[in-house]
Amino acid sequence: MIASLRTLDRRRVASYSLIALAALLVGFGSAAQLRSQLVTPYNRVERNRALVRSVQDLERTNGVERGRIAALRREIAGLEGDAARRSDQTAELAREIANLRAHAGITPLKGPGVTVEIGNGRPSPDGQIGYLATYQDVQDVVNLLFTGGAEGIAVNGRRITPLSAYRGRAGTVEIDDGPPLMAPFRIAAVGNQGQMEQLLSDVGNLGDLHHRQREFGVQLSFGRSPELRLPAYDGSLQAANAQPL
Amino acid sequence: MPGLFKQRRAEPARQAPRGVTLIIVGTLSAAVAFLGVVQIRSQAEVVRSLEGQDNTSLAFLIDDLHRANDALGDQAGELTARRDQLRLSGTAGADPVLQDEGQRLRVLEGLVPVHGPGLVMTIDAPLTRLDLEDAVNNLRASGAEQMAINDHRVITGTVFRQDGSAVAIDGDAARGPWTIVVIGNQDRLAIGADLMVQSLRSDRRVRQAAYRMEPDLVIRATVSERPFVYGSP
Repeated sequence: MIASLRTLDRRRVASYSLIALAALLVGFGSAAQLRSQLVTPYNRVERNRALVRSVQDLERTNGVERGRIAALRREIAGLEGDAARRSDQTAELAREIANLRAHAGITPLKGPGVTVEIGNGRPSPDGQIGYLATYQDVQDVVNLLFTGGAEGIAVNGRRITPLSAYRGRAGTVEIDDGPPLMAPFRIAAVGNQGQMEQLLSDVGNLGDLHHRQREFGVQLSFGRSPELRLPAYDGSLQAANAQPL
Repeated sequence: MPGLFKQRRAEPARQAPRGVTLIIVGTLSAAVAFLGVVQIRSQAEVVRSLEGQDNTSLAFLIDDLHRANDALGDQAGELTARRDQLRLSGTAGADPVLQDEGQRLRVLEGLVPVHGPGLVMTIDAPLTRLDLEDAVNNLRASGAEQMAINDHRVITGTVFRQDGSAVAIDGDAARGPWTIVVIGNQDRLAIGADLMVQSLRSDRRVRQAAYRMEPDLVIRATVSERPFVYGSP
């Protein structure tokens, strides 16, 4: 009896194993099929990874070049300072140049001011963000601050110059030669605090941003600081085609 | 205990029919294999989402970064040459270097009249303050080095205010038709200007929008220097 039961069990186990094996083969067959269908996405992933690596390499180069430019500007200022100490005429010229550089944003600037923060929209319950802040949001705030008498502005530590331009895609902002900046964006402006705050408080200004604030929970806030320190611009500032008359 | 064992071994005979069991085992095995595939796929998705934006956006970003790094390289080269000149010339030779630098900065800050190759864009439309700010930024991002709108010199920081149907540019009222004179690299400017004109022509407010290239344009308007009141270098 036990022997016949054992034979029956062995048969059953063997048949289960066969079925399981067949089913696994079917499953893996589906897997292989699905994998072959996934060839394009995987290629895309690889391409994406390669592109991400390129971006990272270029950002590293960008940082190195900006560091080199900042160091060269400091070195030149030092050499000019040495020359200015030896001649009154050179000293006068050097003062003039220092003033021009300060207005161009090539040297650091400190003083009282306001700081504006712009963040992406709040995520919905399903985790989706309804609105990613764009370069135009940053541009609108910077322009409003200039209207309020800002004497110098920096966005996430990138100084705005007389030739500054903004571009980018949703969620990122590229300013001049710098790497892409990600939200939240912190816009620091040195200047007349009262005037800038008044414009920022006026709901008639920044209409698009206020609308997105209501619709998508975009974060917009501002506050004053007794002393802000704006860094020097560390990018390229050249006009190869425009020549003085 | 052996009895119990025997009883347990005999138990399947009273369970579900064999065919059903086989189907269950088969289904479970197939599900295991299928889940393996799903796992592979979801890992790929995670990698994709972690590694950021779509390839087109990344390609644009790479293009921007290449151009930025080229510009930074040029600037570093120019600064290296200026530093070497200062080192070699000593005190006596510093003045010409400083004078050149002063003139270059005055051009950048819009403080002196300038000339150079570029384009003239004409727009017949009731443009607003925001339209003009966007136009300035688009042209700047397309390589504009210097520009003037209706004979008003414009830099980043120029204040545009809506004043009824007019737009005050640094306090001076201006209204359409608009003439934007831009000096800069013509190849780059043309790309930006094409897109702008295309976009403007699809705007119902715009009666006419066009641009032309000029080999040597003159911008005589200048920006007034603003002394620092609150900030100190």
